[in-house]
Amino acid sequence: MNTLMTTAPREHWLQRWQKARERLAPLFGMNRRNVELVYAHNERRHYPLADDKIVCKELLQAIGVPVAPTIAIGRGLFEVDALLEQLREREDFVVKPASGSGGDGIIVIGKRTEAGWQTPKGRQIAVHELRQHLANITFGSFSKEMEDRILIEERIEPHALYHAFWSDGVCDLRVIVLRGRPLLSMVRVPTHRSGGRANLHQGGIGVAVDISKGTTYRALSQGKEVEIHPESGELLIGRDLPDWETCLKVALGAASAVPLGYLGVDICVDRRWGPVILEINARPGLEIQNICGQTLGSALEKAGLS
Amino acid sequence: MTSAVLAILILIPTATFIYKVTVLDYRIANILPQTEYRVGLRMTLDGGDGRVRVATYAPVDDVRQTISEESQSAPQVLHYTIEAEGLNRQAIWLGAPVPEGVEIRYEFSALLSAVDFTIAPDLEVPESYPRAVREFLQPTEDIQVDAPEIRERLHAIGADRGPLGERIQKIYDDTAGLGFRTFKGTTDALTALRLGEASCNGKSRLFVALARATGIPARLVGGLVLQAGSKRTSHQWIEAYIAGHWVPFDPTNHHYAALPAHYLALYRGDEALFRHTGEINFDYMFTTRERLVPSPEARASFSVLNVWDLFARLHLPFSLLQTVLMLPIGALVVVLFRNVIGVPTFGTFLPALIAASLAATGLMWGMVSLVIVTLAVLFARLGLQRLQLLHSPTLAILLTVVVMSMLGTSLVADYLDLEELARVAYFPIAVMAITSERLYLVLTERGPRAGMIDYGGTLLVVLACYLVMNSTAMQVLVSGFPEVLLLVIAANIYLGRWVGVRLIELWRFRRLWRGEGART
Repeated sequence: MNTLMTTAPREHWLQRWQKARERLAPLFGMNRRNVELVYAHNERRHYPLADDKIVCKELLQAIGVPVAPTIAIGRGLFEVDALLEQLREREDFVVKPASGSGGDGIIVIGKRTEAGWQTPKGRQIAVHELRQHLANITFGSFSKEMEDRILIEERIEPHALYHAFWSDGVCDLRVIVLRGRPLLSMVRVPTHRSGGRANLHQGGIGVAVDISKGTTYRALSQGKEVEIHPESGELLIGRDLPDWETCLKVALGAASAVPLGYLGVDICVDRRWGPVILEINARPGLEIQNICGQTLGSALEKAGLS
Repeated sequence: MTSAVLAILILIPTATFIYKVTVLDYRIANILPQTEYRVGLRMTLDGGDGRVRVATYAPVDDVRQTISEESQSAPQVLHYTIEAEGLNRQAIWLGAPVPEGVEIRYEFSALLSAVDFTIAPDLEVPESYPRAVREFLQPTEDIQVDAPEIRERLHAIGADRGPLGERIQKIYDDTAGLGFRTFKGTTDALTALRLGEASCNGKSRLFVALARATGIPARLVGGLVLQAGSKRTSHQWIEAYIAGHWVPFDPTNHHYAALPAHYLALYRGDEALFRHTGEINFDYMFTTRERLVPSPEARASFSVLNVWDLFARLHLPFSLLQTVLMLPIGALVVVLFRNVIGVPTFGTFLPALIAASLAATGLMWGMVSLVIVTLAVLFARLGLQRLQLLHSPTLAILLTVVVMSMLGTSLVADYLDLEELARVAYFPIAVMAITSERLYLVLTERGPRAGMIDYGGTLLVVLACYLVMNSTAMQVLVSGFPEVLLLVIAANIYLGRWVGVRLIELWRFRRLWRGEGART
């Protein structure tokens, strides 16, 4: 038997090096992303449009791109008490700092209780604690500036599939858009380790989405390929995402609403409202290449943009 | 457009470089900075009711050595004078009564050069010498020129006949060939001869005795072999009067008619380095530090854009010039680390600024003090977080912590006699404060993991910056040809448009380019 086995001739190191270089060519590192995508398509003065959730939301609403309904906006400490009055009978809302990053300062409120509210995870939040939090937002505790505004929105009820992926928080669907074309897409699913947040570097799972069909095909958790969510047990790959066509339409609509040529659009699919924009990022990260197993260069080529 | 700018930025410095070397005759060898030694002598003594007198030799200028920045410090009770004494200068401290535990410090800077003489082979031993030289042919108590044993030895080695060069060579070979042994105190010429072994002063006395016996004037020289650090050992070698020059020989360390550049002469003649009144528990220690200064030839030869002269006219120290000129190079190193390798750092200038600051404190102790101060900041952060203060007051408290930890480090280091660490105060407070602020912000905004990664990256890049910014070759290049800074701009323009994959990203995206798990 052994004599029949053949081994492939070992390639010369130079050939292997050249092949590696060819594969490397379409990979976008930080330098190339900045020069060829961010600087080339986004003017720095427009970054605040993406960084400020309230400004962004107003731009999107103006041209009819769906967003979560706004309950109230607080512009400073002097409005905190009026906001609390407005929220007194409310349930299921979300408090966000307008220019926070990475989910800092966001509180999700569930049911009303005797003393105040409780979060979906059951943590009690008394009225005075919410007042303290609102005040902290206005002091800029969660932003790089000295002050910030408060955005209060209705709480999203994720679509059944996203709810099955992870029930304790919100999965978001990211679409990278360049000059009106979708390039790559992934779903970010929270885990216990990520503290219920969808951020990949905090331990969230990235699920690659085939942009032409809206089907998931790969999932990476901390750099390891997984098929099911290690905690919820839900199958992550081979799933058809709900309302895919609408999701793409909404993403491109959002991209056209802001003067940015290259951006990451984060979408959430609500079971009542359908896809809504969560936020927009003027400098989306590069990890999506690893998640999708595809370089930005090859995605550009497929989209006819290279 | 970019390439045109690049071409200009590369052409100009290249052209001026060639012009300077060919037309203006810049000598690269001259540009090499010289080592300047800062020598400190620390003497301790216990006084008493009686009169105390301490004397030592202060170096004088000669063809080999240039002495400058001489200074001394001693308690008020001790009166300091410098007296000329023959060929030498004596530094004397006098006082009464003197308390116990007195410390005298005496310091000077020395620029030294090596010498190497060639003795003409046909040179004869002269019949007579000028009167001033004649005393160096006379016998003394420890240099027994007339002793029969000296005469016999001279004859036995054949140094009593023939041309001067041959005689001196034979005497040198004979004394250099003696066994080495450390003796406490003085060994006279005869003892060295009888024992067949000696330390530096015995060998030198025997050399002088033999040279004088054969008619060549010779004298002892006492001094220090300088190297960075502390030591008590002084050294002796000799000078012989040959064809109108005092030519050095060191039979102990084997230098024939030559001396290397780290020999410092303190006195000439058969003298003791220290003379002091008895019963005072006298002790001493020499400490030597090295630093680089531009050579005078180089300073004179530079005619265009001579930044050295500019700094000299403004009375700014050469070390500052080095720091200023090397900063852009350091920043370029940071850019390479950040954009080509992908090492995260606190800002772009900061690692270069820290590296420049380390020049004042030394690499190791500077790093140690930086780590101590940042540790203090980390501890302060733990407490500050609980208080939930506003941003600016928090940072003001941080600055206070930085200052207090620097002072504390200096105090503790002084108590522990760690002189290098006590110099943490030399570390620019602004650089220390900005580093701490950055660390605090990254820890607060991006968590302990990111903070520690950025901190580690910063320390690594600081090390690289220090090595490049402190390399003599780089300093010579930049201070001799400041126009290379245009090349630095050119390199940054190139790197500013460079879209290659960073080294660390090669690892991060390894599955993609190795073709594993890639989707086609």
